[in-house]
Amino acid sequence: MPSIWTSLASLALIPALFLVATRILSFKTRWDPCLKHCFVTGGSSGAGLALATLLAQNGAHVSIVARDKAKLQKALEVLETVRHNPQQIFRAYSFAVNTEQGSVAAIGAASEPFDGHCPDAYFLCAGASRPGFFVEQTEESLKAGMESTYYAQAFSALAATKAMVQQGVKGKVVFCSSILGYFSMVGYSTYSPGKFALRGLAETLQSEFMLYGIDVHIAFPGTIYSPGYEEENRCKPKITLKIEETDDGAQPEVVAKVILDGVRSGKFHISVDFIGHVFRTSTAGSSERNSYLLDWVHAVVGYIGLPTWRKMWVDNLVVKHRDEHEGYLRERGLCSVE
Amino acid sequence: METKLITAAVALLLGALFTLLLSYTMLFSKKWDPKGKHCLVTGGSSGAGRALAVELAKAGAHVSIVARNPERLQKALEEVEKARKTPEQVFRCYSFAVNTESGSVAAIEAASEPFGGRCPDAFFLCAGASRPGFFIEQSEASLKQGMEQTYYAQAFTALAATKAMVKQGIKGKVVFCSSILGYFSMVGYSTYSPGKFALRGLAETLQSEFMLYGIEVHLAMPGTMYTKGYEEENVGKPKITLKLEETDEGATPEHVAGVILKGVRNGKFHITVDFIGNVFRASSAGASERNSYALDWIHGLIGYIALPIWRKSVDTAVVGHRAEHQEYLRERGFLSV
Repeated sequence: MPSIWTSLASLALIPALFLVATRILSFKTRWDPCLKHCFVTGGSSGAGLALATLLAQNGAHVSIVARDKAKLQKALEVLETVRHNPQQIFRAYSFAVNTEQGSVAAIGAASEPFDGHCPDAYFLCAGASRPGFFVEQTEESLKAGMESTYYAQAFSALAATKAMVQQGVKGKVVFCSSILGYFSMVGYSTYSPGKFALRGLAETLQSEFMLYGIDVHIAFPGTIYSPGYEEENRCKPKITLKIEETDDGAQPEVVAKVILDGVRSGKFHISVDFIGHVFRTSTAGSSERNSYLLDWVHAVVGYIGLPTWRKMWVDNLVVKHRDEHEGYLRERGLCSVE
Repeated sequence: METKLITAAVALLLGALFTLLLSYTMLFSKKWDPKGKHCLVTGGSSGAGRALAVELAKAGAHVSIVARNPERLQKALEEVEKARKTPEQVFRCYSFAVNTESGSVAAIEAASEPFGGRCPDAFFLCAGASRPGFFIEQSEASLKQGMEQTYYAQAFTALAATKAMVKQGIKGKVVFCSSILGYFSMVGYSTYSPGKFALRGLAETLQSEFMLYGIEVHLAMPGTMYTKGYEEENVGKPKITLKLEETDEGATPEHVAGVILKGVRNGKFHITVDFIGNVFRASSAGASERNSYALDWIHGLIGYIALPIWRKSVDTAVVGHRAEHQEYLRERGFLSV
């Protein structure tokens, strides 16, 4: 008579076996960046630059796109230091990719050294974070938040897709969302919506791209120790900083390595550390999973660990912050004096 | 090694007990009563919004419906009037575009007038629309419009509502209407899902942040609703998407409104409308506050097994559509000769 645990474990085996069967039937070869043309937005700093560097180390042609020409030039010099072979083409292009027009122009420019052949893989790392209390936001700041999270990548994805479909290129689109695209908390009303939106787009495209043989990936890193992170912390509410006190961040190089490994092995959602895996498996829904067995373990940990962390740490700290916050609001005339 | 295993087992056991405790305490949370409360409903002249307005009227609330079209608003107000329970109830309709902060602020101010300037107690944000289509047929303008009709349609009203409630010290409610397409997505919804996911992102932030104010947030995730909006949505919907949805059962807006109001009364954060919705909700909850840890376990397990199988059938259908889609693209000049 099998115990309930054996029964439950064997239930989890059903999708696992199912996945193994389908994987065997649709054998996926590991993706190799060598001599593929990789287009990296937000490529002059942070995780984007780290990814561009790693791709260069692995033999890819790399086109980095960003706005600041000086930063782009410095980034290009970094790529040169890791050149793997003389055939590799490294270029830097100054474009604003948060419009379709800008993205189309950037891709057009990047395609020139390749006789008009568009890039094979698009790593969309453009984005920024400006946290703050919701009551202090305006229509403009909420829109700016959506711009620097969602639109910063969506229009590049649009331009990339049109180019690849037109040219019959079975390429890749890699979005950079955030662990704040799996959950959110106080202070991130300008950031999480856009990071969740990126997931919404990636989920649509993971299905729709099966019409074209294009792959989509979406990365969900946590804190990255980059210049962007320092800027983010300048305007971050104290309560948010306090909740994040116990967070471990990662260097952009580490994050880039995990993302590239995930792209190589064909992972749809790419999480960067244990906490990321727990969130990924606990929010997967119908999203294509990478491992049905491992996911089960992470999800069980999440089922118990996440509400515990949420209630005892996050919610508890926020409720304790009420009085201080009331004073903060009163100073700014945001609540009535009683 | 043994001590590690024992520590892990103890931690797991404590955690399990904690989650059970959470389920237990939820049974005793106070229910919310709309009676005598002032409820503002955006998108209130049609579909689920109008149905919610009627439900709230039946429950004894004061109701202010906000939308653009004055004729539809008038018709909706007549329906709300039919549901009147007491002579004290105040029913009004206001024509405003709430997809800007200034429009939302003006709508809330107008609605507050009959109440001596006191802002509404509960905001049901049902404004929204869906225009599906293939991603490669979109443009910057259409993707932005999609975000407008899904996210901005509700976000700025939430902003204006929050500022008003915080200013006046009102411990009210904000109810977002997302969609089951805010839990997952598939071919054809690149103009819709991002904004519906974004609404969840905002709701998740506010569920935490509103603990600073004693305001509550709710997030409704209905599936197909048989409304005028749904008919309009299907006009431009790709054939492959329609095919995939063939087996879907929809619901009437009245049914959906009933479930949403019940969920708000019972203090549920995420509100799903049917079994499939429950499965998706339980399978993608992450750190979101759950309504029932015990029931969710069952729904989550079902999802873990059934969702990938369903998904595989969706993927197979899409792959099977490739050749027809290539023709479609060729006709429209998308492919290089």
